[in-house]
Amino acid sequence: MTETMVNLSTSDTLADSAGVKIQPHVSCHDFSVFYGDFEAVKKARMEVERNRVTAIIGPSGCGKSTLLRAMNRMNDFVPGARAKGKMCYRGQNIYSSDCDPVELRRRIGMVFQKPNPFPKSIYRNVAWAPKLNGYRGNIDDLVEHSLRQAALWEEVKNELDKSALALSGGQQQRLCIARAVAMQPEVLLMDEPCSALDPIATSRIEDLIHELKTRYTVILVTHNMQQAARVSDFTAFMYMGELVEFGETDLIFTSPKQERTQDYITGRFG
Amino acid sequence: MSTEVTPFKRRSLTISRSASTRMRISGLFGHGLLLLITSSSALLIIFIFYYIIREALPFFKIRGFVEFFTQNAWHPVGNPEEFGALAIFFGSGMVTLGSIIFAVPIGVVAAACLSDILPFSLRQLTKPIIEILAAIPSVAFGFFALVVLAPLMQNHGGLILGGSVWVVGLPLLFLASWIGAEFLATRIDGKNLPTTRWTLRLVLSVGGLLALWYVAGIFGQMRVTSGTNALNVSLVLGIMALPTIVSVSEDALQSVRRELREGAYALGATRAETMMWVVFPAARSGITAAIILGVMRAIGETMVVWMAAGGAEQIPTPWYNFLEPVSTLTATIAGEMGEADHVTGSARYHVLFCMALVLLTISFVFNFISDRIIGKGGLAKGKSA
Amino acid sequence: MNLASRRMMDRSFTVLGILSILVMAGALLCLLGPIVIRGVNAFVFRATVEHRQMLAEKYGVGDREAVKRELAQAEQHRTKIYRMISAYEASLEDESYAMRREMGGELDELKDRLRDLLGPFPGDPDPILMREQYGETRWDRALVVKDEVIFREEYDYSDPSAMGVLVHVPRADTFEGTSLAPLFPYLENHLSDILRPRWTFYWRFFTTESYDAHFFGGIWPEILGTFYLTVGAILFAVPFGVISAIYLVEYANPKNPLVALIRTCISTLAGVPSIVFGLFGLAFFINELHVSESKSVLAGSLTLAVLILPLVIRAAEEAIRAVPKTYKEAALSLGAGRWRTICTVILPAAMPGVLTGIVISMGRAAGETAPIIFTAAVSAGGVVALGETLSQPTPALPWNIYNICSEHEAVNEIRHVQYGMVFTLVFLVLLLNSTAIWLRARIAKRLRGA
Repeated sequence: MTETMVNLSTSDTLADSAGVKIQPHVSCHDFSVFYGDFEAVKKARMEVERNRVTAIIGPSGCGKSTLLRAMNRMNDFVPGARAKGKMCYRGQNIYSSDCDPVELRRRIGMVFQKPNPFPKSIYRNVAWAPKLNGYRGNIDDLVEHSLRQAALWEEVKNELDKSALALSGGQQQRLCIARAVAMQPEVLLMDEPCSALDPIATSRIEDLIHELKTRYTVILVTHNMQQAARVSDFTAFMYMGELVEFGETDLIFTSPKQERTQDYITGRFG
Repeated sequence: MSTEVTPFKRRSLTISRSASTRMRISGLFGHGLLLLITSSSALLIIFIFYYIIREALPFFKIRGFVEFFTQNAWHPVGNPEEFGALAIFFGSGMVTLGSIIFAVPIGVVAAACLSDILPFSLRQLTKPIIEILAAIPSVAFGFFALVVLAPLMQNHGGLILGGSVWVVGLPLLFLASWIGAEFLATRIDGKNLPTTRWTLRLVLSVGGLLALWYVAGIFGQMRVTSGTNALNVSLVLGIMALPTIVSVSEDALQSVRRELREGAYALGATRAETMMWVVFPAARSGITAAIILGVMRAIGETMVVWMAAGGAEQIPTPWYNFLEPVSTLTATIAGEMGEADHVTGSARYHVLFCMALVLLTISFVFNFISDRIIGKGGLAKGKSA
Repeated sequence: MNLASRRMMDRSFTVLGILSILVMAGALLCLLGPIVIRGVNAFVFRATVEHRQMLAEKYGVGDREAVKRELAQAEQHRTKIYRMISAYEASLEDESYAMRREMGGELDELKDRLRDLLGPFPGDPDPILMREQYGETRWDRALVVKDEVIFREEYDYSDPSAMGVLVHVPRADTFEGTSLAPLFPYLENHLSDILRPRWTFYWRFFTTESYDAHFFGGIWPEILGTFYLTVGAILFAVPFGVISAIYLVEYANPKNPLVALIRTCISTLAGVPSIVFGLFGLAFFINELHVSESKSVLAGSLTLAVLILPLVIRAAEEAIRAVPKTYKEAALSLGAGRWRTICTVILPAAMPGVLTGIVISMGRAAGETAPIIFTAAVSAGGVVALGETLSQPTPALPWNIYNICSEHEAVNEIRHVQYGMVFTLVFLVLLLNSTAIWLRARIAKRLRGA
C-alpha cells in the first residue's frame, strides 16, 4: 500500500485536527454508483489534492467518466442512477441531503468530452452562467479574464459577438473551459477534453491544464496514458468499475504496485 | 494572467433542513403542475368521448339501436321520422374504398420510387409536391371537386371514363402480356423459346387490346347524370390521402435495413425484384399503417363529401355504381346540424352525435391499430419506438 | 425468366414509379392551376365603367369627374339602344292584343337581360338591391351576359326518348323585321364602347366588406375572421402544447404507465375526424361551459385549439428532443437549476423547431372548416371588432367558400369571388407552410454552425 492509500483509511476529521496533512479537496470513501442493478463504480477510494492535476485512466467502460460525473452530481440526471457511500468536497459529503447540488456545481466546474458551446455568441457563452447566478462585478472584465485564462482571448477578442459554433474544435473546447472558469470554481472536472481534437489543439489544451492548476484543482479523465503522464501529478487507474490503484503519476507509471495496472500501462490490454 | 476580477458571492454549500424541504416541495409542486397541464391535454380526448356519448345516448334511448344500424330510410324530418343510417354508413364506406383503390397503388409505388429509385436531388424536388398537397385546406379540395371536376364529369363523363380506361389499361396490358407470355412459354414447351414467347406476346396483346377496346367502349357510352357523385369524391379524397400514404410508406421503406437490400442485389436480383420480394415484405407493417392512416384521412373528411358527394342518403343501384350521388357520416352531420341545433333535445339532434360516435370509435380503433403496428415494426428493426 | 425480360420488368417498375409521382404532380397542378389563374382574376380583371361608377358612389373612390365624363361617353352609345327599345315599344302599341302580349313578354325578358348588362334604364325607379343598381362591373361577366341578351336558352324536346337538349336561339330571329332587329348587331359591335373595359388591379378586394351578398366588394371580414380564429387557436394551444412537450421530454419517465397513457391519448386526439371536434366544441364549449351565448370566435378558437394541440405537442416534442444533450449538461454543470436550464438554454435552442410546428399548425387551423361550422362561423356578417370576439360569430374564409359556392342564390354569377376566396385561403396557408420550410432550412444551417 502506498502512503496515500494508508491515509485514506483515516477519516477527514482526524487528518484535519492533526493538522499534519492538508485536507483533501475532493475525496471518495467506499463510493459506489449503480445504474439500476449494474455497479458502474465499485467502492472507490481516493483523495484529490488541492491545486494538483489528477488523472483517471483506464479502458473504456471502466467507470472513470461515471466517477468523474459523480463528483459534481451530474449523474443525478441519468435515469436509474444512484450513489452509495461518501463523496466529499472539502470534507463535506456532497450526497447528504443537506448539500445543495446547484451550489456544488457552481464550485466544481466541468468540461465535457465533445466541445459543447451553446448556440450563442462567444461573449454570451461565457457571460451566461455568471449573469444567471447574479454576478455583481463587471461582466465584461469577467469575460475577458476567463477567456485569458483559457488562452483564447487573443484569438477572439475582436469577434466576441460571433457565434461560438463558428470556432474550430480546439477553440470551442477552450471556450468551454473559459465558460467553466467564469464561474470561479475551485475544482475543474475534465471528461476526456481532448478526445475530439487534433494533436495541435490537444497540446494547447494540455499546456492550458498546466497553467490552470495554479488556480484550480483539476481532475481529468483520459484514455490516453501519455497524456496522463504528461499533465498529471496524481493518477488513478480504474478497471471494471474498481479503482485499482491511486498514487503519484511517476510512481504509477514507473513502479505500479498492482499487476493489473502494470498490464494496462504496458499495453497488455486496454 | 490578467488582473483579478470581483469574486462571486458564495452561498453556503450546506442548506438547512427547512430550505431543503422547501426546495423538494417546490420541485414536486412544479413537477405536479407540469403533469397536470400535460394530462389536461390528454384528458381532452376523454372529454370528447364523454360529451359525444352523452349527447348520443338519448337517441338510443328514444329509438333503440336496431333501426339506426340496419335500416336505410333516412327521413329525419319526415312524418313519421325515420333514422336508418345504413345507407349513410354505406356511402362513407364506398367513398373511402374508392379513394383507397385509387390512392394506395399510386401512393405505395410513388413511395418506393422516392425511397429507392430517384436520386437525392430529384427527391428534394418532389418533397414540396407532397408537402403542398398535404397543406392545402380541405375546403379548397371540395371547391375543386364541386366547381371544376363536377361540371367536367357531367359534361364529358363518357369521354373521361373511356379515356381513363385506355390510359390506365394500356401500360397494364403491356406488362401483363409480357409477363403472361413468359409464364406460358415456360409452361408450353418447357424451353421458353424466343419464337414461342414473341408469338404469345403478340396474341395476348391483341386479345387484350380488343378487350380493352370493348371495355373502354362501354365506359365511353356511360352518361354521368350528376357530376357530384361517389366517383368524383373518391378521386379527390384519394388525392388528399396520397401525401399521408406516400410519406408514411416512404418512412417504412427507408427504415428497412440496407443490408437486406444489398443481400438481394448480391444474389443478382434486379431493383424491381429486390423491392418486390425483399423490401416490400420487410416494410409490410409500415405500409399497412400508411394505408390505415390514409383510410382515416378519407373517412374523416367532411368538406369534400359535403360539397361534392351529391348528398343523397341512398345505396346506389347497383351497389357498386360509383356514378350515383351518395352521402356520408361526416357530410350528414355537417349538413343536418345547422337545422337541428335549434331544436336541441330532439332525436334529430342526438342522432348526429350517434354518427359522430361511430366516427370517433372507428378513428380510435384505426389509430390504436396503426400505433401498434408502427410501434411493433420499429421494435422488430431494432429501433426504439 | 430470361434476363431481358427481367430487365424489362425492372424498367417498367421504374417507369411506374415515376408515373405515379407525375400523377401526384399533375393532380397538384390541376388543383392549383384553376385556383391560381381564376383566383388572381378576382382582383386583376377588366373592369367596366359600371365598376368605376360603383366605386365612386359606394366607396367614394376614384376621380368622380372622370367617371362622370366616361359615363356620359358610354351613355351616348347606350341611348341608341334605349331609343330603339322605346321606338319598338311605341310601335307595339299599334299591334293586335295577341301580338302585344306575345312580343311584350319577349321584350320584357330582353329588357331584363339588358338591365343585367347595363344597369337600370333611364326613368326606371331606383332598384332596392344593389346588384340591380349597376350593370356588369366585370368585362368577362359582361361578355356572358351579352350572350344572354343575344341568345335565348331553350330546351329541345324533339326526341321524346332522351332528355331535353340545350340550344341557343338568337333573339334576333324573334324580332326579325322589326325596328329592334338592329339592336343585336349594334350591341355586339359596340359593347366595349358601352362598357369601356379597362384592366384594373382591384386591391380593395382584400380590404373591403362585401356589398349585397358578395355581388360587390371584397372579403375583408372573412380574412379578418380567419385571422382571429387562427391566432386565438394558437394562443390557447401553444402554452399547453409546449408545456406538455417539455414535461414529456424532460420530466416524464417513459416507463411510467401514466405517461404511456397520456401519449396514447394525445395520439388518439390527433386522429379524431375534424367534424367530431366541431360537435365536441358545440356540446362542450357552448352548451356545457357557456363560453358564449351561441357561436363565437372564442368558442371556435377553443375548438380549433383542441384540434391543433396534438400537432403542437408533437412538433415541440421533436424540437426539444433534437436539442443536443450536451447543452443541457453544460448548463447544469455551470450551476443552473433544471427549470432555468430549460428556459434559458433548451427552449431557445428548440425555438426555431417549435416555431416551425406552430406555423404549420396555424396553417392547419386557418384551413379547417368542419370544426367552426357549429362553433364560430356565420355566412353573412361584417367586420367583427376585437372586443366582440368573445361573444360574436364571424365570417371566415373556409366556411364562406363553402357557403358562397354551395348555398348562395346566384352561384354562377359570383364565381370570381369564390375563386378569389379560395385563392386567398390557399395562398395564406401555403405562405405559412413556406415560412415553416424556410425556418427549417435556417435551423439546418444553424446546426451546421454557420
